[in-house]
Amino acid sequence: MPKTDTNTNFLGLLGFALLAVVLIALPHLLSFSQQEILVLLVINVLLVCSYRLLTLTGEWSLAHAVIMGVGAYSSALAAKQLSFPVPLAMLTGAGVAGFLAFLLSFPLFRMKGFYFLIASFAAGEVIRLTWKWSDLTFLFGGPKGIKRIPPFPDFLSIDFYEPVNYYYLCLIVVAISLLILYRIERSRIGLTFHAIHWQDKLAESVGVNTFRYRMLAFVVSAFFAGLAGALYAHYVGAVAPNRFSVEEMVYILIWAIVGGTATFYGPIIGVVTLTILNEVILRSLDVDEMRPMFYGAILIISILFLPNGLESLLPKIKGWFAARKEKRAMTEQLAE
Amino acid sequence: MTKFAMNRRDFLSTTAAVTVMAGVSMPKMSFAADKVVKIGFLAPLTGAVAAWGKPGLDGCKIWADWVNADGGVKIGDDAYKVEFVAYDDEYDPSKARTGAVKLIKEDDVKFIMMLGGDPWPGASPVAEKENMLFSTLLPSDLSPDTELLVAPCEVHPIYNVTGVEWLAENKPELKTAVVCAQDDSLGKPSVATYLAAFEAAGIEVLGDPIFFDPATTDFAPIMSKMLALKPDIICLDTCYADYVHPLTEQAFQQGFKGQMISCTADFYEKMVEKTSKEFMDGFIFQFPDFDDPAMNAEHINFQKPNDFYAEYVKRYGKGEWSAVSWEYASIMDLWANAAGRAGTTEPVKVLEAMKVGGTGKQAFGEAKWWGKELFGIDNALVGQWPVVAIDKDGKARIQDFKSIPAWWDKHKDLLIKHMKALNQMYYQRS
Repeated sequence: MPKTDTNTNFLGLLGFALLAVVLIALPHLLSFSQQEILVLLVINVLLVCSYRLLTLTGEWSLAHAVIMGVGAYSSALAAKQLSFPVPLAMLTGAGVAGFLAFLLSFPLFRMKGFYFLIASFAAGEVIRLTWKWSDLTFLFGGPKGIKRIPPFPDFLSIDFYEPVNYYYLCLIVVAISLLILYRIERSRIGLTFHAIHWQDKLAESVGVNTFRYRMLAFVVSAFFAGLAGALYAHYVGAVAPNRFSVEEMVYILIWAIVGGTATFYGPIIGVVTLTILNEVILRSLDVDEMRPMFYGAILIISILFLPNGLESLLPKIKGWFAARKEKRAMTEQLAE
Repeated sequence: MTKFAMNRRDFLSTTAAVTVMAGVSMPKMSFAADKVVKIGFLAPLTGAVAAWGKPGLDGCKIWADWVNADGGVKIGDDAYKVEFVAYDDEYDPSKARTGAVKLIKEDDVKFIMMLGGDPWPGASPVAEKENMLFSTLLPSDLSPDTELLVAPCEVHPIYNVTGVEWLAENKPELKTAVVCAQDDSLGKPSVATYLAAFEAAGIEVLGDPIFFDPATTDFAPIMSKMLALKPDIICLDTCYADYVHPLTEQAFQQGFKGQMISCTADFYEKMVEKTSKEFMDGFIFQFPDFDDPAMNAEHINFQKPNDFYAEYVKRYGKGEWSAVSWEYASIMDLWANAAGRAGTTEPVKVLEAMKVGGTGKQAFGEAKWWGKELFGIDNALVGQWPVVAIDKDGKARIQDFKSIPAWWDKHKDLLIKHMKALNQMYYQRS
């Protein structure tokens, strides 16, 4: 009905406006260290959302952290060695990550499922070990990585060393990126990704080139992971191979799994909840050595009781309210 | 049997009450009427490198308790109680940056101690912007740009030359060695140092050093590869405790009968348990237990080392003593002394006071500020360093104190040569 559509659109817009106000006001409500955490959180939101795009085709990669690293290293080198302006270096980093994914697609998409998972891990390790290779230390800095990466330059006397300013920069970049990712998912291309995930043989039988669509998902996903890496590199000022190890990849998987990957917002809920839990709540309890144990316990509990991720909470809550409303209506009817 | 039942309301109210009671009744680490100076402790307290962070914080707590019980640190006309504020950097540069910001802007610390290594580049811009004095245990973090970073305790990995020098003097029959290390920022400069030390001592290194990935969990093939070369000496370089233990066990299980040398042998009692006293007899490393009688020598600057060790063992257990248990505390001795002389806790003034005359009181004796040729800046305090060996009873004992500057004066060309070959000179780092 047109009226309901208008109401829904209005509520949607109102929701977005409220979210925008909250996101703009947020850093001013936080402590200095929480502002730092917020910057990294926004970068990780882009990272995990870009990862989800690949999972739409049904493939789970173990190279995503390394792909982020490719963006970080490329952007750092472009800015430091080639003297590119930092914004251009960032785009170059993202582009190199996307191009590398394009090249990797040829061997990797000869495999599917578990075999793709393992092959992506191997490919990621080859890249990561190349950064550590002593013959290339002059370029990648070996195990110590690259330091003193040029920061994002001041713009109209805005100092991007300050976390609040860098947060706003990241927020704009990530919001645009998420919009693009969302539009891709909602387009015919996104529907084809879903089709490949659930019925790849059927999709092929109607003329869909599954290899090309998988490659497209991988390249787009890598581009945005690379962009996240570039944002990270020019903020922290250093990149090293260990930062993009399999341990970091496990975190991306945990954010995606705990949040859920069925909806666009699932991984965002995952990364936001777990970051607040680990970096704010558990740290404030002053139980540093016990933090991994608490974190692990909460993950286990979350997976046990919410196997479809935190995103499944919202429909559950909606259902609970609907059932309550129905029950109340029935009680009132009976009373009459 | 009575069935215990608790509804949600009871559970919530009980939890809230317990939380409030805990908050009210927990003792507070504050000194209401006294002046307090806060010191930041930014090091890994969890994860693979925690063994080089957590024991150091434990040592600092003892240091603070003793100093505060004595009335605090005298700075200017006032006595300050010392309070440590810790932040777990998880050996990650981004978390080191967050931690540095928290410690400086929220906790108002006047000095920050780090392990160094991978996290330092993250904290480095904060140090520069905020003019904060930092210390590292790893001088390989030093470069001409790091003016506010000092390495006042441990000159890793340069002191490793003393172990090899002692070995060559006392066991001249050992002629060959093999070296292995994890492929990271700790392993590589240390390998360069051991290669230089072996060359200086006339000991041949068989084959290329074996670099293994830090994610390695199976050490049998690495040890097999080393033993295949039939060396007199197996050198474990600066491997983390998680690698030294399994590598040593593998050497034992695969029947190695020769000499072992390592930078560290943290929690060595556990290695003795897993191998044998006979096997571990003569194992050389660089970090003494502080109950060693040799620690009472006149040149030692560390305050009451034997008592410190006893207190540490009493509080945390004998098996918890490690290479870093005393190091951060010894840096605090230096800082407190410099702050006292500067009459202020202001970081730049304290640094100036620390470096007055170009010398300082390092834990094991008088030392000089050094490092220009190797790190591009004279911000490392270098002097004597102990050589430690495990005896037939499975106890670590200091064998000798040897001079690092004396070795450097004779063999610096060798060290620079090997550092260059492994791209470890400060100007070769990206």
